[in-house]
Amino acid sequence: MNPSPSNPLLEQFLSEAHDLLESIGKQLLQLEEAPDDQGILNELFRSVHTLKGNSGLFTWPEMTRVLHAGEDLLGMVRSGRADYSRELADHLLEAMDFVDVLCREIESTERIDAARAAESESTAEGLRKLMPSEAATGNAGQAGVNLASAALPSANVPGEKLPLGSVPEAVRMAAFRHCREGDGLFWIDYRPERECFFHGDDPLNSARHCPGLLWGRVLAPEPLPALRELDTYSCAVGFHLLTSASREELAEYYRYLPDQVEISAVAPLLLVIPQGSLDGPAADGHFCAEALRMLQAADLASLRPFVQAMLDGSRAESWLASALRWLLCLLEAGPRWIGDNTRAVSLLIESLESFIAPDWASPKAVTLAAAESIAPTADGLASASPQPLSEDDRAAWDHILAGQRQILALEDRPAWHTGRLQAVATVLTHLCHMAGGPSAASGIQAALAEALSSGRNAPLMAWLDAHENLQLASVISALPRPSEGDGAGPATPGANAATVFEDNSGKTPPDDGIRFGRRAEDAVNGPRVLKVDQAKVDRLMNLIGELVVSKNALPYLAERAESQFGVREISREIKSQYAVINRIADEMQDAIMQVRMMAVSFIFQRFPRMVRDISRKLGKEVQLVLEGEQTEADKNIIESLADPLIHIVRNSLDHGIETPEVRVAQGKPAAGKLIIRATQEGDRVVIEIMDDGKGIDPAVIKRKAYEKGLIDEAALERMGDQEAINLIFAAGLSTAAVVSDLSGRGVGMDVVRSAVEKINGTVLLHSQLGKGTTIRISLPLSMAVTQVMVIESDQQLFGVPMDHVVETVRVPASAIRTIKQSQTALLRGRIVPLKSLNTLLGIAAIPKTNSDDELAVLLVQAGSAELGLLIDGFRETMGVIQKPLNGFLSSLSAFSGSALMGDGSVLMILNIREIV
Amino acid sequence: MPVEYKKNRATLRDDVSVEEAEGLLEWLQNTPAAKADLSACSHLHTACLQVMMAAHANIVQWPHSAELRAWLEPALTSGDQEPAWRRPF
Repeated sequence: MNPSPSNPLLEQFLSEAHDLLESIGKQLLQLEEAPDDQGILNELFRSVHTLKGNSGLFTWPEMTRVLHAGEDLLGMVRSGRADYSRELADHLLEAMDFVDVLCREIESTERIDAARAAESESTAEGLRKLMPSEAATGNAGQAGVNLASAALPSANVPGEKLPLGSVPEAVRMAAFRHCREGDGLFWIDYRPERECFFHGDDPLNSARHCPGLLWGRVLAPEPLPALRELDTYSCAVGFHLLTSASREELAEYYRYLPDQVEISAVAPLLLVIPQGSLDGPAADGHFCAEALRMLQAADLASLRPFVQAMLDGSRAESWLASALRWLLCLLEAGPRWIGDNTRAVSLLIESLESFIAPDWASPKAVTLAAAESIAPTADGLASASPQPLSEDDRAAWDHILAGQRQILALEDRPAWHTGRLQAVATVLTHLCHMAGGPSAASGIQAALAEALSSGRNAPLMAWLDAHENLQLASVISALPRPSEGDGAGPATPGANAATVFEDNSGKTPPDDGIRFGRRAEDAVNGPRVLKVDQAKVDRLMNLIGELVVSKNALPYLAERAESQFGVREISREIKSQYAVINRIADEMQDAIMQVRMMAVSFIFQRFPRMVRDISRKLGKEVQLVLEGEQTEADKNIIESLADPLIHIVRNSLDHGIETPEVRVAQGKPAAGKLIIRATQEGDRVVIEIMDDGKGIDPAVIKRKAYEKGLIDEAALERMGDQEAINLIFAAGLSTAAVVSDLSGRGVGMDVVRSAVEKINGTVLLHSQLGKGTTIRISLPLSMAVTQVMVIESDQQLFGVPMDHVVETVRVPASAIRTIKQSQTALLRGRIVPLKSLNTLLGIAAIPKTNSDDELAVLLVQAGSAELGLLIDGFRETMGVIQKPLNGFLSSLSAFSGSALMGDGSVLMILNIREIV
Repeated sequence: MPVEYKKNRATLRDDVSVEEAEGLLEWLQNTPAAKADLSACSHLHTACLQVMMAAHANIVQWPHSAELRAWLEPALTSGDQEPAWRRPF
């Protein structure tokens, strides 16, 4: 056994995981046969789900992640949202193999190497890719907020921008000062999964301890339900974090919840978002022109006080003051940085006049502000072509316009009418800016001035009527993404936020609600099976063996009572008691054998997968038929049969079955047929592996064997076809022209034969050229009790396994002929060589004859030949529990083991193959 | 006890764990003018925070810890707390 894990829970997990993986593999293959079978699909889903649940007991995010992805995918197949395909099966099988590898790793080291994380991620990703796209992004928790992610070059998807505007200005400025030299700055969108409390997670706690945390906030992606509907134990909040930690640190910190966090790199310039009230006056053109001139001249010494003076003169909460503070913040970065980012600074200065924050994401701003520190990130931001509006943005746009229209339609003239008009004009200006048509904004200003002077809404309304249907409608489909600076605008943040959260609401898998119900189903599903350590069964087995032996002492005792002490009464009573004990012991022995019995399906179940993989690799089509999977045999037998069978199946696939083209050309069906059949014949199990492939050509085998020096020329001439085919079991012979990774290295069939013979089995091979090959393996049902025939020779008793005994005959001494030096006899028309057991064992005595001058001959089968053993006499046959010879005795190859007889004497079991 | 309930005032102390969430929810449901004192609170489990957010609990004392307060105050201040929230136009 493997070094078993110290933790019983872990041990159980591994044992269950093994079973589950086996059945998942099997179900996947079954599903390939019948893709529409909901029953198998449900079973499969449940298996994966259970395994995932179990893995969650331990902290193995690598394993859970893959299983989770598999579960999601199967969930979709089950509900008809994804189609079952070969590709899907391939991915799932591969994922399960990966889980299997992890299980093995855990078994030996009790942990998973952290280096597996990447592999796990890619495997899970592979599974997620198979999901229908919209669901995949939703399930994977892709909140779509990855616009600024440097790691994702494809980040310029029509997505949302980070709501950086919600970060307080002071924090942003501090972050900017910290990061402008190119240090990493990351935005984390952390959406804990709903059941996270059950895993012992406290998202707020982990958010508070996020490395390099600069700022964070709690938010509810969806409005929280009313108190009485609130589920305390379902996490409904999320977090936004801004951190200066490195990507590696973050990856390490969020190692266990990579699917719950969205980590996006933030270009420092994106933090520059002036915010504040817009009613104050804008900077006049003169100021801006002057500031730009100083900037061009790199006259920072004058520029800074100049801006400071302007800042002192404006209200601290106004937009202008905010923009000026940012300008100062940029200016304090030092001449080199400013030299690299002149364009960025001038954009900010220009915005002082327009009140429209610089669009750092626009290509114009980026290409010109091509500082090293920003460029890689900014490239990701830049959308070269205008992005179409998302569904939500369009709705927001329409809504805003309709709102302005409504305001303008109001007939009342309140005291704040002027402010109202200005507000409408501001909103329209921003909309124009979004539409990329700043030229239109001038029209608004004119209309506003007219409206203000006349005190009427009409001019603005007229502008709206004139532009909405023409210009706005045309740009609406080809609108550049809103600028980062729009956080300051009165309406757009709402629109953006709406889209952000819309996406996130899709994040929770829809089947979340029924998790608990499924658990209940799993429980009733478990078979009523007890798992017992094999050592315990073995011990029981040994004890019963001893019981059988000591029970066998009773008849001797009865005989002694009668013959030595002359008490017939006691003798009879002992005999009747013996009968009872004998019956019980037999039943016990039978029962324990049953416990050790295993169905051959234990080995068979791996074949569908193996045959599928190998045949696909070889480009062959194979139909595998398994028969008699319920046939049982002793566990040891079954286990030692696994390797030889795999060898044989591989050989059949590689050498036996032809490619579809060849088969069709020979008039066979394109798909080859491989039958593996197990049957019970008496006290033996017979396993046949039949293929309808090309068969074995005796001529080829003979030539090969000759080339490799396994046979000489004379043998080559003499050898019959069947004999030639049996050469395939000789060591060092391979018929494959090319050594492949499957077979052909010449260590195949001889290994098979020795493995089978080790468990007292035999292998036979029949092959018909062009028709196929059949390999027949015959094995004892159990190795525990061996039937032996007891024989006597030179007053010693020996056991001969019944498997080798052909017949027992008495031959008159006169019928024995000597041909050269060997004795022979004619038995049933065959010449049988005779050998004295005494000679073979080195005992200096000649075989005794009985009163009729007849010799006892035990005809045994040794390999393919028969041989007559000359012995002194036959005794009974009996079932013995054969013990291997240990220690120094193990070198006695003439005996395969020993057994205790009922009277306490030791019976040596002859190893027929060795002695003849 | 990390949470002490008195008439309409709950005092949360030290580390308020997930076990308190259910009790807190029940108390908030049954206490119309509930007030919460967080001054001695050092950590609030997400489950409890979420309950208080949903209840729009009236916080009379913010935590002494400025760092914790910075987390809780925006989340627990009712009204226009989140500019990024989805609101009807």
